[in-house]
Amino acid sequence: MSVLDRLKGWETMMLALLCAIVALNSLGSPYFLSVGNIVNLFQLSIEKSIVALTMALVIIGGEIDLSVASVMGLAACVMAWTFHEGAPMPLAVLLALAAGVLAGLNNAFWIARVGLPSLAVTLAGLIGYRGVARILLEDRAIGGFPDWFNTLGQQALIGPLTAAILIFFLLFLLFAIILHGSAFGRLVYVVGSNVQAARYSGVRVGLVKSALFVGSAFVAALAGILYAARLGSVRGDMAEGFELDVVTAVLLGGVSIFGGKGNLVGVGLSLLAILNLRNGMGLADITGNTQNDVIGGLLILSVLIPNMWQDVRNKWKGRET
Amino acid sequence: MTWLKRRVRPEQIRELSLLVLIVAAIVMFGSFIDGYYSFRTFNRIASSVAIITVVAVGQTLVVLTRNIDLSVGSIVGFTAYFVGTLIANNNGINPLLAVAIAIAMGAALGVVNGVIVAWGRVPAVVVTLGTLAIYRGVLVDLSGAKTVTTDSLPDWLTGLPLVNVTPIGNLDIRPLFVVALVIVVIFQFGTTYLSFARRFYAIGSNPEAAQLVGLPMKGIVFLAFVICGALAGLGGFMFLVRFGNITVEAGRGLELSVVAAVVVGGVNIFGGSGTVLGAMLGAVMIGTLEQSLFRLGISEFWLDAVLGLLILLAVASDAVILQRLRALWGGADLKLVARGADSGAGEQSAPRP
Amino acid sequence: MRKLLMGAAALALLAALPQHARAQDAMATPGKAVSMVLLPKFLGILPFDQAHKGAEEAAKELKNQTPLQFLGPTPQNSVAGQIEIVTNATTQGVKAIMISNNSGDQIVPAAKAAQAKGIKVVTWDSPIPSSEGEDVFVAQVDFSDIGKVMADMTLDLTGPGGGKFAILSASPDAANQNAWIAAMKTALKDPKYAKLNLVDTVYGNDESEKSYTQAQALVDKYPDLKVIMAPTSVGIVAAAKALQDEKLCDKVKISGLGLPSELLAYTKNGCSPEFALWSFVDLGYLTYYTAYLLATDAMKAEEGAKFKAGRMGEFTITKDPTRAKGLRVLMGPFTVYNKDNVEAGAK
Repeated sequence: MSVLDRLKGWETMMLALLCAIVALNSLGSPYFLSVGNIVNLFQLSIEKSIVALTMALVIIGGEIDLSVASVMGLAACVMAWTFHEGAPMPLAVLLALAAGVLAGLNNAFWIARVGLPSLAVTLAGLIGYRGVARILLEDRAIGGFPDWFNTLGQQALIGPLTAAILIFFLLFLLFAIILHGSAFGRLVYVVGSNVQAARYSGVRVGLVKSALFVGSAFVAALAGILYAARLGSVRGDMAEGFELDVVTAVLLGGVSIFGGKGNLVGVGLSLLAILNLRNGMGLADITGNTQNDVIGGLLILSVLIPNMWQDVRNKWKGRET
Repeated sequence: MTWLKRRVRPEQIRELSLLVLIVAAIVMFGSFIDGYYSFRTFNRIASSVAIITVVAVGQTLVVLTRNIDLSVGSIVGFTAYFVGTLIANNNGINPLLAVAIAIAMGAALGVVNGVIVAWGRVPAVVVTLGTLAIYRGVLVDLSGAKTVTTDSLPDWLTGLPLVNVTPIGNLDIRPLFVVALVIVVIFQFGTTYLSFARRFYAIGSNPEAAQLVGLPMKGIVFLAFVICGALAGLGGFMFLVRFGNITVEAGRGLELSVVAAVVVGGVNIFGGSGTVLGAMLGAVMIGTLEQSLFRLGISEFWLDAVLGLLILLAVASDAVILQRLRALWGGADLKLVARGADSGAGEQSAPRP
Repeated sequence: MRKLLMGAAALALLAALPQHARAQDAMATPGKAVSMVLLPKFLGILPFDQAHKGAEEAAKELKNQTPLQFLGPTPQNSVAGQIEIVTNATTQGVKAIMISNNSGDQIVPAAKAAQAKGIKVVTWDSPIPSSEGEDVFVAQVDFSDIGKVMADMTLDLTGPGGGKFAILSASPDAANQNAWIAAMKTALKDPKYAKLNLVDTVYGNDESEKSYTQAQALVDKYPDLKVIMAPTSVGIVAAAKALQDEKLCDKVKISGLGLPSELLAYTKNGCSPEFALWSFVDLGYLTYYTAYLLATDAMKAEEGAKFKAGRMGEFTITKDPTRAKGLRVLMGPFTVYNKDNVEAGAK
């Protein structure tokens, strides 16, 4: 039983899917394989991809965080509002990150300390944090950020890659190491697969979960700031509805909604697959609505087909004996 | 008291705590808002929660079996739109037939969900996330981006919300609310007294035991989704009645409100416990908060923040009350079922020092 | 001698001619292959479909060899979707993008990238507030005029005694609605409207359900409200139904901007006796012509440029007085609908 064995199954399927999508896209549009397009492909959904990384950890840990998109919006609004009120930009960014941490602590308190279900708490957070964002910005849009900030979000930093793309890769490596190579990562799996057993084994379940939620909110805040930099201005409805796409990407990546199963490679592959698919469809002038159809169908088929395949193989095995 | 402790479990009187919270909220709002205690307020809240309640009843059944149905918003939109178009093109259609078509349409969509979850063994959250997108997509593609306008609808439909079902004296109760109430009553009695309905609870609270006992797992889960779809279809018809003007975006985001109602209503998201009545009370709680906060003069932009906080407090106080009740009940004689049924709000079934 | 005089006269005439030609309108050369994209705020509502119709009509007249692409995001993904479509269109190297901007200034980076590639960016219905990244804005009507028209209609409906009224808008971030509301507030400063009292502004997000409940909430909170002004085609219909359901159409009137075909029933029964709109079909038609002319280099996007847009006649690009910077093409007048002309308008 090696790494290779563990990587069989879901990840191989995702890889095959990804190759198929890339091939289709290259055939479908002459513009697909240009550097500019590949960068765009990532850029257009980079913030969602970043949040998907922590969402994967949270779901593997047996919980869910529906408030991520609202935390993105909240952080961006805190930043914009404090900047507008005269704070220097670096301070505004720091305050935005602090807002994310506070939101995460709030989530962690109700979920890990009081023991409420994460679905309920983060659902309340989804509504509540967005509300706070609205209180700050009301119906205004705030822009006019200093050039260095906008450049960070829009211009290439190293080669053709922008800061956000670089951050994504860094975070991917970081979380992959945490999840698959550290004690904390093992604890996340344990807590996710059997929280009772974990508790009785002496695992500080509350601490693990708190770390997950604070981390999730912090990264969401970071993503919100990057989003604001890319767009050059902030509105109260920024990132609204992103949580659905993020959860879809994580589930498509082979992470079980029940916790305890899944890995970051799968999530990475599913992100690539979804981004490529959307880009290819976009270049083929397929509208967002139909794109959603396809992704939805893909999500279902990704689990359905292996199951049915399993059934067929079992039937065959039955026949042979 | 011991008699009470033996016959009734804390979870079963959880609805009581929610009811207390609702009454407390109403009293608080009433003290700040003039003219709050009126039939207009009642109807305002009742009509806005009617649709959510009906859909939440179906969602409760699904959640009891340890699943979830996120596609209900799309089902509501789908049925509202297509039944609306049907009626617009055939103004003389029999009203009851139209309702039946809506329910059948919703049930058919529920069948798709049920088949894939039960026989495809795909997790419900995956399936319904997918069908949420697919049903909405099909709706937009088939509709040609037109809107169903009230002008094209017959009078009986557009006039329905205005009908006063109880023209006794000053009572003014509207049809949509009555429909919701009837559905809740039917399903509450069904799930409490029909032994067949107890299977939903069994599957959710302890699937392994249910399997060993020989319950038809797949059939029951399938049935839950079909009923959920059917009720969402009914909800779609009610949506058509209430709003008249249906765009292809109808019902978008409804699933969020329904899940919120179910969660606040004390239905355990891990399955096995919670009642239809609780879901309705959850919907009423949220609806009351939403409707009353605006009257209170709270700025448009503060509403959502306050709402999020209040939902959190409602769930928290509900959990705390339940824990108190459990502590009160105490005793080994009431540890009836393994972890599942008693998990209340999740983790805290582990004994707290 | 005569010949000389004739020659001189001819020369003088010739000298005069280019001057006249400079003042002549830019004319579109039909039959070219110009790839263009029509990008509404989102897909799925009638006004944008009508704009599409108008644009297709123009495309046919101009015999554009490349078919028009009508692309749009879903309503809940409007901002990110519009940015994505503009970015993809830039990758594909289209010649012109016509966008009804729902993304405020957030579309600026993408729009500027498009311009950098030589793509003409023409906004219609809703402009880019800072006008950066935008070549010209095709305005359906003058935005300050909308403010006056809305104020007038409100005064009409409350009667000379005035009274309380509220605004039901779309999304709090919609550039055009916000501009119209600001214009209305400015117009209200005129002593003519002194008796009108704006009590609240609420947002329905272009959703029927939200607009419906907001309208109800308004009449609850302000029992002596006389008018609800809804400058959004989705909001005005939902609010009218809400008032009808509350049986309040005698006390409270609905007005604003809406489609005659959708408001027909409510105008006839008195819930919405007066409202206004312009022709979205014409707007799409004019936008297409403007974009085609710019994309084929038949004219430049600069102040003073005149052009002829098919059946709609002559237009001039001017400075946009309602924004700090930016150019615009002003389409034309409103139609105020009431029970006399609403049926004809609904066709």
